[in-house]
Amino acid sequence: MGGLPTDAELVDRARAGSDAAFSTLVERHQAVVRGFLRRTLGGGWAEADDLAQEAFVTAWRTLDRLEEPGAVRSWLLGIAWRKAQDRIRGARRGAARDRQWLDSVETPAGVSNEERLALAAAMAELAPDVRACVALCLADGWSHGEASMALGLPLGTVKSHVARGRARLLVALGGSDDA
Amino acid sequence: MTPEEKLDALFSVQTPPARDLAFRAAVAERIARRRAVLQVVTTAPVAVAGTAALWGLQPVLASLGPVLAPSATALALCALVAAAALWTARRVSAA
Repeated sequence: MGGLPTDAELVDRARAGSDAAFSTLVERHQAVVRGFLRRTLGGGWAEADDLAQEAFVTAWRTLDRLEEPGAVRSWLLGIAWRKAQDRIRGARRGAARDRQWLDSVETPAGVSNEERLALAAAMAELAPDVRACVALCLADGWSHGEASMALGLPLGTVKSHVARGRARLLVALGGSDDA
Repeated sequence: MTPEEKLDALFSVQTPPARDLAFRAAVAERIARRRAVLQVVTTAPVAVAGTAALWGLQPVLASLGPVLAPSATALALCALVAAAALWTARRVSAA
């Protein structure tokens, strides 16, 4: 009692018309949604953040359709994923453009600029489905089951996408093919 | 660093901050804009219908004008206060 409200409670309040409750949901889940879109969409971060805002507006408009209020995070990711797919299909995207996703990022300590660019190139060459699975399971630590539910992909597909994507990225960073 | 550690490091620099008031405000602004559009879309037909009804009733209202004139100001004021109270109550309950 008196603790932070759960996602389900916030969804109930937002459905009743509370803007404050929906704003708290935005604050709670924005980092996951934006991080996912930055890694999946490619291009600049501004485009990913813009799409994340669109995803939250769509969520606000369709909140009544959410069947499991406790699973709002997966639901939001699903909305973001569908918007990302539309954006990827709608725009003429090339590897050079998709590679921009790391161009504006500082290079972390212990990683060379060449490795950073190699990873960006490898990430850009992954299929969008594979990139989405990698973004959720490797970067954000989601379980395969959670990613499967959010992305609407079969569990086996998620597992194989993650394994394949991870292997390719590690090879780009100097790892072995069977890593 | 192993390739796995490098991968983790590169992914972590893309993670947005856990709290971002600017992003939160931007979403709230877009929602407010969307709500305004929805309100216009839903109220416009009512306004058009009301205008058409008044236009159709114009001859009747004109003939009743001398009768209604003394109480028209009071009725309009009451309607305005009622509408303002209703609007305020909805805003307060939604917050």
